[in-house]
Amino acid sequence: NSGTGGRKRKSRWADDEPKPVIQLPDFMKDFTGGIEFDPEIQALNSRLLEISRKLQSGMLLDDRPEGARSPSPEPIYDNMGVRINTREYRAREKLNRERQEIISQIIKKNPAFKPPADYRPPKLQK
Amino acid sequence: LMLQPSVVATKVVCLTQVVTPDELKDDDDYEDILEDMRTECGKFGTLVNIVIPRPLPSGEMGPGVGKVFLEYADVESATKARQGLNGRKFGGNQVVAVFYPENKFSQGEW
Repeated sequence: NSGTGGRKRKSRWADDEPKPVIQLPDFMKDFTGGIEFDPEIQALNSRLLEISRKLQSGMLLDDRPEGARSPSPEPIYDNMGVRINTREYRAREKLNRERQEIISQIIKKNPAFKPPADYRPPKLQK
Repeated sequence: LMLQPSVVATKVVCLTQVVTPDELKDDDDYEDILEDMRTECGKFGTLVNIVIPRPLPSGEMGPGVGKVFLEYADVESATKARQGLNGRKFGGNQVVAVFYPENKFSQGEW
């Protein structure tokens, strides 16, 4: 009864020995794939996706009913007399600010993160 | 010069620095390796396909010789396998496990 089946042979896989723990320097983390499992980064990433989707979808950004809204700020008009700070405009700006803020946070945690082309780093304040 | 980091998870895991051309030439060794891979790597999830490129009969090294490709049914299994296999030893070699682009794998680009 030679050949297939009952042949007892030691697997080439070494027994499940404890893996040597190698502490990689921070700049290597991006290459090991470890960082994408960081729950904080995952949360930031999913919020970033959500915001980007909202901004691109063209859907109404502020759909709160009349009663649930706080009073609007004084209108601002451009030199053609068209109001600039409409509700949609303000909602969009708010999301954009949050988006930039999230990207800044991700970069802080993962310097190798490649931000989208329209990301502008926050101005340093003196 | 930088190697493309394989941070994007796919269903295909590639083990590098695993097998030597000599063992692959031998049919028995090859079968053994295949079986060992099937047994151990199947623990992480459903394995759809295993590809272990062999040297050509002429002795010429084809592409991908020395690598083992594991295709899983889903990304979760592949992710577990990548984490679980990376750094393990196979036949005395320390295994490096990386994700491999699915399109390259399906086109036989090793």
